[in-house]
Amino acid sequence: MAGKPGTNPTTYSPSMATGKTRPRIFKDHDVDWVRPDGRGFHQCRPAFFRTGAVNSASGSAYAEFGNTKVIVSVFGPRESKKAMMYSDIGRLNCNVSYTTFATPVRGQGSDYKEFSSMLHKALEGAIILETFPKTTVDVFALVLESGGSDLHVVISCASLALADAGILMYDLVASVSLSCLGKNLVIDPVLEEESYQDGSLTITCMPSRYEVTQLSITGEWSTPKINEGMQLCLDACSKLAMIMRSCLKEATSTSQE
Amino acid sequence: MGLPDASGDLSSEVEVDAFRRLFPLRFCERHLSESIRPDGRPLGRARDTTIALGAVASADGSALAKIGSTTMLAAIKMEVMTPSMESPDEGCLAIDFHMPPICSPIVRPGRPAEASPVVSKQLSDTISSSGMVDLKELSLVSGKAAWMAYLDIYCLDADRALFDAALLSAVAALSHLQFPTVSLNEDGRVVVVVSEEDGGKLEKEPVNREKRKLTLKSIPFSLTCILHKNYILADPTAEEESIMETLVTVVLDSSSQLISLYKPGGPVLANTSVIQDSIALTRQRVRELQKILDEANSGMEVD
Repeated sequence: MAGKPGTNPTTYSPSMATGKTRPRIFKDHDVDWVRPDGRGFHQCRPAFFRTGAVNSASGSAYAEFGNTKVIVSVFGPRESKKAMMYSDIGRLNCNVSYTTFATPVRGQGSDYKEFSSMLHKALEGAIILETFPKTTVDVFALVLESGGSDLHVVISCASLALADAGILMYDLVASVSLSCLGKNLVIDPVLEEESYQDGSLTITCMPSRYEVTQLSITGEWSTPKINEGMQLCLDACSKLAMIMRSCLKEATSTSQE
Repeated sequence: MGLPDASGDLSSEVEVDAFRRLFPLRFCERHLSESIRPDGRPLGRARDTTIALGAVASADGSALAKIGSTTMLAAIKMEVMTPSMESPDEGCLAIDFHMPPICSPIVRPGRPAEASPVVSKQLSDTISSSGMVDLKELSLVSGKAAWMAYLDIYCLDADRALFDAALLSAVAALSHLQFPTVSLNEDGRVVVVVSEEDGGKLEKEPVNREKRKLTLKSIPFSLTCILHKNYILADPTAEEESIMETLVTVVLDSSSQLISLYKPGGPVLANTSVIQDSIALTRQRVRELQKILDEANSGMEVD
């Protein structure tokens, strides 16, 4: 495959040596194994949030969960697109995109339509849309680096950015996902665990109201497993919301000084 | 605060903030006559600049550069290509500049910003003509395999001076770049050698054991200035650039050689002395930036 003059030569990312595929992180009937980053099964990655990451936006937030790093900017409320019909209540417009270097193999940096619509559905129940009639609030997310559980980090970060922009909400929205690997439930999975998972469960909720805005389950689950998983996620969500709340309080107290 | 006579009675009554919004040009000129900028800087000083290397773990080299609140994230991913017939022992460097919708209220998803292809082209022209990267260093096996370095720069926060910040993050990412250790397998494909410790057991010798970093010959740095009347304002903010339109961008390398000078029109016509003054400002700025980059690099070695 000699490169022809004038055309872009095709490239490939140098993969791992063949015959040296990395061993699975756990064996089928093994209950006792160690997660790639040494966490307990029911332990989330340390979460870091900071508001005001982008000055030119009305509100913004940066979130970092292990290697997953995202920035969310909120613009508006501003004039809806001309083509939009009249609306008594406000509109929410969401977009999630990835950088080309976010994934281990170089991507195209394209939009993730599915994630955009999931983000929209997760947030719209929490925002008081009646407070900004005829206008649109834009929520744009950029995943700088993907380290697993990207969507739930984006959702939590977006609710913080909305709060930073002063958009009225019923409560902060926290989101946690969980993977089913063999007999174990692991919370907040990393990329490697996600690729081996047998099923996943993601809960997005408003912890102080104890209301769920989005619940998605993939794969095969038994009823007791679902109950166990939901309880784990809800507990983690309320802890996550506490971290988010303290980040907001910190931001306002430093700005007042 | 005494206001100039030209602003008349109305402006002496309005508050400073309202005056700033209603008469932005007059507000700015009032500052300039006192040799100070609206944000408190002297005319020739650039905003605070920081560089952080290695911000993206999934890339082979990366850097986050901030000039004031303008933030750029550059990262390099290395892929393998077959070199072309004309230059069998040269690799390739592909530079792309992105303005995602998060960076500015003007950019909407699906509609790329006008500025991004312009800055993209300027960046690749500057970096290729500065001779900073020797493409021969990107060669792996002559005629068979070479590195294709994808350098992607994302604007995370746009407060003007886009080109300056993008170039700074690009050169910082190139200085941070480390090649993965690779070897050739039986099919002639390039594969990553898993880790250094396994080196003894490998049947294949890595093709690039010594070459782990690029040698950067001369590093280009740039400074954008606004020309307004007879003032030269270094490193303008978005507010300043929205009212005064004439820009001039000077790119010098680390030994103060001129690489490029870009003045895309504008109502103010530059004469020789203005150009010389802006080059002198850039020369100062290059020393500053070189120091910031050296500090960022030496900080990495300590870690």
